Amino acid sequence: MTDYFADTTGGGGPRRGDVQGPLVTVLMPTFNRRRYLAGALASALAQTHRNLEIFVIRDGGEDVADVVRSFGDSRIVFLDRKENRGKPYSLNEALAKAQGEYVAYLDDDDAWYPEHVETLVRALETQTDCHAAYSDLYRVYCEVRPDHERVVLSKHVEISRDFDRFLMLYFNHVLHVSLMHRRDLLDRTGPYSEDLNILIDWDINRRIAFFSDFHHVLSITGEFYCPLNHSDRISDVRRKDSEDYLRNMLAIRTKNPPKPWPKMGELSIIMALDRLDHEVGRMLMRIWRYTFYPYQLYLPLSPQDLARLDLQMPNVVCVPVAPQSSVDERVDVALRKAQERHVAVVPRGIPVEDMWVEDAVHAILQSRSDREGFLLPGCESGRWGAVVRRSDLVQARSRYPHLSIENSLTAFGVCLRSPDPEELPFQFDELLRQGKLAEAEGDWLLAARLFEQMSRQYGNELWMKAMAARAYFEAGDHTQADRLSREVNRLRPAVDTLLLEAKVRRKQRDFAGAIGLLRQAEKWLSSPVVPEPLQSQAPRQYEQTRRGV
Amino acid sequence: MDSMNANEIERHKLTQHYEVLQELGDCYTSVGNYSQAHRCYEKAASLGPDEPGPYVGLGVAALQEAKLEEAEIAFRVACRLDPRCAKAYAGLAMVAQQRREFPQSFDLYMKSLELDSNNITALLGLFQVSCEMGSFAKVIYYLQVYLQMHPGDTSVMFALSALYFKDGRTELAKGMLLDLLALEPGNQDAVNLLEEVEHTLAGAGQT
Repeated sequence: MTDYFADTTGGGGPRRGDVQGPLVTVLMPTFNRRRYLAGALASALAQTHRNLEIFVIRDGGEDVADVVRSFGDSRIVFLDRKENRGKPYSLNEALAKAQGEYVAYLDDDDAWYPEHVETLVRALETQTDCHAAYSDLYRVYCEVRPDHERVVLSKHVEISRDFDRFLMLYFNHVLHVSLMHRRDLLDRTGPYSEDLNILIDWDINRRIAFFSDFHHVLSITGEFYCPLNHSDRISDVRRKDSEDYLRNMLAIRTKNPPKPWPKMGELSIIMALDRLDHEVGRMLMRIWRYTFYPYQLYLPLSPQDLARLDLQMPNVVCVPVAPQSSVDERVDVALRKAQERHVAVVPRGIPVEDMWVEDAVHAILQSRSDREGFLLPGCESGRWGAVVRRSDLVQARSRYPHLSIENSLTAFGVCLRSPDPEELPFQFDELLRQGKLAEAEGDWLLAARLFEQMSRQYGNELWMKAMAARAYFEAGDHTQADRLSREVNRLRPAVDTLLLEAKVRRKQRDFAGAIGLLRQAEKWLSSPVVPEPLQSQAPRQYEQTRRGV
Repeated sequence: MDSMNANEIERHKLTQHYEVLQELGDCYTSVGNYSQAHRCYEKAASLGPDEPGPYVGLGVAALQEAKLEEAEIAFRVACRLDPRCAKAYAGLAMVAQQRREFPQSFDLYMKSLELDSNNITALLGLFQVSCEMGSFAKVIYYLQVYLQMHPGDTSVMFALSALYFKDGRTELAKGMLLDLLALEPGNQDAVNLLEEVEHTLAGAGQT
């Protein structure tokens, strides 16, 4: 049972008419982080964009009513529930009551800087083709003292990754705390999945990617905390349970939102099978586990085999075929049912592992040539599989039904080949891996050149320039380190790049310049960014709030 | 931080705040703002209680304010925290040098150079103490080793040519000074020393 109150006593917060711009719903679930909640909530209330409704959702655990009420701000809506139902439930509970045009998220131990909401609202109001936007955040490594005080050891922008739809299917690169999206987007994605207990942010980001691009704002607008000595983050604890992690991951990868999907394709995987046996069963399980591109799996099997099939796998279409029909005939029957733009024909025995089909899918999505298809890894004589355009396959089969699938495609003029390296997905990640390897081997100059080249050709410009600057510094090339660190600091100064530029300036004996940069860095590391509630006013506001309940 | 490997970068994630304060303290010391340097080093020490760096910094600042006892205490704390801290031994050597305890200073500079033959402060300190003591052989060796690693370091080239000259190796001194002036033609100390060297060579009838 949830107690629900909104502070409408007028004790605090902006008065009617003070607020401008669209209403933004802020969602703050909280569970046993009473010590940090006030700081997080204060950071939300201190936003320069004042038109907010802030849902604080107690998801069981410690009582926090007094903390919430101490702010006495009419923009807070407190959902007070004693039972722990999980974060997705809490988010859905608040979203059912939300009125905002946009939705933003804040964890109960993190903090936004005052311009966080304003920055993202501005982005969404100007980048109208994007219904979601995100900024950069500091990951704050800290030590937690016995009195729970967090001593900041460092603040790093570890990832400043531009949105990449293909990557979003594979791995989350947008932090929930940095995200804002239109509320009506959730009408299309569906609500938060309440059967998940980790990777909740990835789940919603992945589904949003079916409908919208994400606009990446290159500003640091908040921070999230990573205690060194112990992590009380529920997600960190649960990630250590590998079975639970896999269960959550599979649930996310296989759950697709309702169609139509304006920004996402889908693959028809047609299994080219003669019968159902254990080998096929194992293969299907591996397809479930490893395929991350959205798919429908077509199983053209005899009614007897289909009856034996005990499959909990989602996105499966059973296609009954005559038991005596050949494998090619079975594929033809399935093809008549398949509606997706691209088709993977998958024979028995093809190795199914990470990226088994996505390399070919990515290649065909990039391909500008008509009549081109891409072979699956592990093809050999008598075991042929490929990803092709459905229209090509349909025409090839109608013109050359007497030929094998492969030969009919060739006869129709479809060029079948393996993807070239530059057609594979995650080129950026591969280069990043190579750069980090060069760093680990002490080849700083190679790493620096690689990172700088990546900044020119693969997006993620500031992130790569910051990495190149550091690598140049380590390589002893202070001129290049100076150039790049100044460039990054001019656009988006961060503690790390200020420190780097200061080191270069110190080498150049520009002590005054170095001191200026280091003082700024120290200020960002030391200053409490989040204003605390006014202690002297807290008791009076608490009383007012109680009367208002 | 002169050079980091990948593990050190991981470690850097945990020591960034410390590093900012240490750098800031060093910069304040360089411009003579010792009170601010003190504040930074003390805060750095609280963040990195096992690190010798802040105590070395406090020692250097105290030394520059001619507070020899304070400097000695700080350098000794640094040595205790890290018995392989070359900078701490160089600091103790500088304290001894200021007190004109040249043999002790010489030994401490040598200890520092054994731990880090790249330590330019220890190298130049050793040079000064050697000049005071008239004992050149060891310092010449260390200066040569250093120059092999840093062939263009004109301050060390000058020190080495001065020692060659004092040691009677006049031709070597001349060659080193000519190399130095090719790199830094406006180095007046080198021009003056070269004049003196050439004068000596002329007097010996060797030119």
